[in-house]
Amino acid sequence: MASPGGQGGGGALSTRGGGGARRMKWALELSLGNTRSRGDRQGGQGDVVYPIGYSEKPVPDTSIQETDKNLVEKRCWDVALGPLKQIPMNLFIMYMSGNTISIFPIMMVCMMAWRPIQALMSMSATFKLLESSSQQWLQGLVYLVGNLLGSALAIYKCQSMGLLPTHSSDWLAFIDPPQRMEIMGGGMVL
Amino acid sequence: MAKLILLWLKCVVLWAIVEAVFEDQVGKFDWRQQYVGKVRFSHFDTHVQSSKKVLVATERNVFAALNTRTGELFWRHVDKTGSEGNIDALLQHGQDAVLVVGNGRLLRSWEINVGGLNWEVVLDSGSFQSACLVGQQDMVKHVAVLKKTAISVHYLSNGHQKWIENLPETETVDYQAVYSDGNGEVYVLGVVPHSHIAIVVYSMEDGEIIKQVNMSVEAPWLYNIQASCVVVGQGMLTCVDSAGVSFYMLDLHLQLQMTQVPLQSLALEVDPGFHPVLLSHQPNPARQPLSEFFLQLGPDHYQLLQLNNGQIAAMRDFKPSGFFGKQCYKIILEIQVKIVNLFSAETGRRLLDTTLINLRKFNSVFQLYVQAFLKKDDSVGYRAMVQTEDHTLTFIQQPGRVMWTREEALSDVVTMEMVDLPLTGTQAELEGEFGKKADGLMSMVMKRLSSQLILLQAWIGHLWKLFYDARKPRSQVKNDVTIENLSRDEFNLQKMMVMVTASGKLFGIDSKTGGILWRHYLHNVPPNAAFKLMVQRTTAHFPHPPQCTLLIKDKDTGLGTLHVFNPIFGKKSHVTPPALPQPILQSLMLPLMDQDYAKVLLLVDDQYKVSAFPSTKNVLQQLQEMAASIFFYLVDSSQGRLSGYRLRTDLSTEQIWEVIIPPEVQKIVSVKGKRPNEHVHSQGRVMGDRSVLYKYLNPNLLAVVTESTDLHQERSFIGILLIDGVTGRIIHEAIQRKARGPVHVVHSENWVVYEYWSTKSRRNEFSVIELYEGMELYNSTVFSSLDRPHAPQVLQQSYIFPSSISTMEATLTEKGITSRHLLIGLPSGGILSLPKMFLDPRRPEIVSEQSREENLIPYAPELLIRTEWFINYNQTVSRVRGIYTAPSGLESTCLVVAYGLDIYQTRVYPSKQFDVLKDDYDYMLISSVLFALFFATMISKRLAEVKLLNRAWR
Repeated sequence: MASPGGQGGGGALSTRGGGGARRMKWALELSLGNTRSRGDRQGGQGDVVYPIGYSEKPVPDTSIQETDKNLVEKRCWDVALGPLKQIPMNLFIMYMSGNTISIFPIMMVCMMAWRPIQALMSMSATFKLLESSSQQWLQGLVYLVGNLLGSALAIYKCQSMGLLPTHSSDWLAFIDPPQRMEIMGGGMVL
Repeated sequence: MAKLILLWLKCVVLWAIVEAVFEDQVGKFDWRQQYVGKVRFSHFDTHVQSSKKVLVATERNVFAALNTRTGELFWRHVDKTGSEGNIDALLQHGQDAVLVVGNGRLLRSWEINVGGLNWEVVLDSGSFQSACLVGQQDMVKHVAVLKKTAISVHYLSNGHQKWIENLPETETVDYQAVYSDGNGEVYVLGVVPHSHIAIVVYSMEDGEIIKQVNMSVEAPWLYNIQASCVVVGQGMLTCVDSAGVSFYMLDLHLQLQMTQVPLQSLALEVDPGFHPVLLSHQPNPARQPLSEFFLQLGPDHYQLLQLNNGQIAAMRDFKPSGFFGKQCYKIILEIQVKIVNLFSAETGRRLLDTTLINLRKFNSVFQLYVQAFLKKDDSVGYRAMVQTEDHTLTFIQQPGRVMWTREEALSDVVTMEMVDLPLTGTQAELEGEFGKKADGLMSMVMKRLSSQLILLQAWIGHLWKLFYDARKPRSQVKNDVTIENLSRDEFNLQKMMVMVTASGKLFGIDSKTGGILWRHYLHNVPPNAAFKLMVQRTTAHFPHPPQCTLLIKDKDTGLGTLHVFNPIFGKKSHVTPPALPQPILQSLMLPLMDQDYAKVLLLVDDQYKVSAFPSTKNVLQQLQEMAASIFFYLVDSSQGRLSGYRLRTDLSTEQIWEVIIPPEVQKIVSVKGKRPNEHVHSQGRVMGDRSVLYKYLNPNLLAVVTESTDLHQERSFIGILLIDGVTGRIIHEAIQRKARGPVHVVHSENWVVYEYWSTKSRRNEFSVIELYEGMELYNSTVFSSLDRPHAPQVLQQSYIFPSSISTMEATLTEKGITSRHLLIGLPSGGILSLPKMFLDPRRPEIVSEQSREENLIPYAPELLIRTEWFINYNQTVSRVRGIYTAPSGLESTCLVVAYGLDIYQTRVYPSKQFDVLKDDYDYMLISSVLFALFFATMISKRLAEVKLLNRAWR
């Protein structure tokens, strides 16, 4: 953005056309300079004159309607089956990370648990994605089942790592000492 | 940017400094005090004028040299306990001190400057009678030792025996004293009781009997020469008869007939019931004794007498006095309540009288050791060491200045307690506000306002003090701990140690510094009394003062007395303890409180009747309500009887169980219950498979240790009996065959650890018993001994310990979360902190996955002593008799006091200091990093803003 001779104090130089009405070799605008240039930046290339034949909106293509439908269907199935496809991978990671409690297995487990939960939380967004599909409900169900399986796997991993408070020892610290019913004292005869 | 660099540089520099600091923690949390015990013999080191030593040989078999300026020990030699190390005689000549040890078994010579042993010889057997230094022509070169049947003379230089002679007619004559005055002869004095005196004179050169006198000197009143006779002047044996009516005199050189001088002729009278004692002084063993001598007529009444040409003349009477003399001057020192007088012994004229400065109160004088010297201006100066009946050593120097006092009673601590210090006045005021019962809204508001006012006042006072002190030079601002400014510290690490000593003197010692804050001497405590100290009210109940009660029981008569006192100030309480007309068997402290928050003490008398102290109406009512759940047990080891009693509502008792252990087979050595202030945090142990093994936490469980009366090494055994104190049910019984005591036992939580001597393998062994309820709790809310259908599981394991032990105790913490250690006092003077983890009957022989999960150490029969486990590093604690542990306000920290001949106080952290920042915690680094980060954030924020602005300009 070379601006030759742009040493003017408050003004800004622009080589771009002002409104496109009058075309000059160069123009110096003093009044609207600041606002223009700022608006320029925020508004992106709004005011830029595009080359001939360029359209900002994509041109709707109506010639390949049939395959497109199939593609959408396929794409939606991809989305729905995504969680299920991750399960073998997760199983492998689980197997590799082992049952010792250290930072990496814990991170793995956290990731494994968090991802399905996140997916379940954003279920509505996924449904919107699947809106265009004809088998929307089936795909949604598959997606849900996949995520549930994923979280079940994570819970199983937690269980096998011993992170779930399922044993009596996990509640040992909360047992209060029993109250004493009798008072007793004494000793050797002094 | 330059600032940033500067900051970074500062950080580096500071970090480097902090890294270099190394703080030695020796003596920071611990202190040791060394004692010698009650003095039996003492000598001033006079062979050099400037010497600062006084030698003491004590009843605790200690021989030591004290610094006369400070009272500290120069050196100390601790001999065996009991009669084997008993010091029979102490003789001093020049740089050598000669000791007869162990009833005449050993003769030792010590070099007194550094305390090194010159020589030691084993004497022939025979019970020791007397010893003296023998001189010839002003040279002292020999020491004579008189035994029951023989007399031997040894060289002072190397201990070699010069000669030994058997005494004649030992079957009839009882030889008791030996005397020499430098003329080359040794006089052995004996007596045929109630008949006559026998004298044998030996030649110093070859031990030949020069002269022997028997039968001729009649003395039917005499049976103990050492108690009633002294040699005075020119070899004149002077005796006073026990009835105290006459003097008897015998010239040892002529040995004619005893001349009798009635005391009445000298106008003297013995105090009724007092056995008169003669005291003489022989300054130089090569010379004759002084012709002046004392006759003690009463406990505090002395009479100076002079022997002049065979005539006794009474010169003057004195209060408790000591004697010192050299050939050129002889002086007498008299001590009255606050006055020290100096007299010339020759004339009885008063030379000097001085008033004692800075002395508390003298208890009655027991012994007095005096040294006098001529000062440069030819006036007489004196130094004196006074032992009073409460075993205090006081050193007095001219002019009546008390140089130091040593509380030797502390060498024999019987029992102790640690009491929390009170809160400061303002803290207490606030506490008191919440502690009191509510009485109306208005008064509560007023109380709150007033307490806030007091706080404000205190704060302003504090500010004023800070301002005032800031102007003073730093050296003047001292913060000594005195009884007035005692207050609890942040973590309750400083406590008051209340110590009860066998002499009947009570002490209050600050646990932080070891300073004695108060002392209180109880008169008329019988010598074999049993003590039991109980804290009835802690400091938590302001404004009620804390209250301790000491039960003193005379073992002969069985009668007991109560001494109620304030443990912080040592003052006797206003509460009048009940008179105890009946012999007392035991006492027990109930967790019940009266309306003044004093715990109720029950005293059981020999009729098995119970009396309560305090016994207000409120208490009696509470007792009636609670009577059905109050039980007590008594153990009579002489009859081998353990019996349990139940309280009835009318305060009579009913025996509910009895266990007899036949005393002819085995005797009960000790009974250990659990400590009442012990908390157990975890109710079970987590197994490897994550199930829980619940502990059997019976608060009424007693561990009874018995030893067999048969001590033959094949047949001797020890027994341990776990018995429920309420029902008398025997929970567990174990017999260790071929084992012998002394058994040391610790009983805590769900385990009992005991140590014994295995006669079969000839080694010390530890054994641990742990009790578990199993995988399920029977009743998790209440524990009642009366409702326990299932017997606990018992696990036991034994280990070899490489040393014998003196005493054992377990650490104790506030909530019981911290792991436990055993504190073991070793005879070598070390205190070992052994993790309980090593004494765990679940230690597996074969390591499995589960045991590894549980962190169990594989079983190894030997317990090793690791040097880093010694909590007292090189501060040897001699003859540890007991270890007392107390919790502090910090869960990680346990306060430990080991007492015996020495007292040692320290802190232990069994699980390391998990709740405290380390001493060398890098506050500087952390805060500088924090600040650096903070500034870095500020700077980068600023930089980011600038950058954003610049971008905006483009």
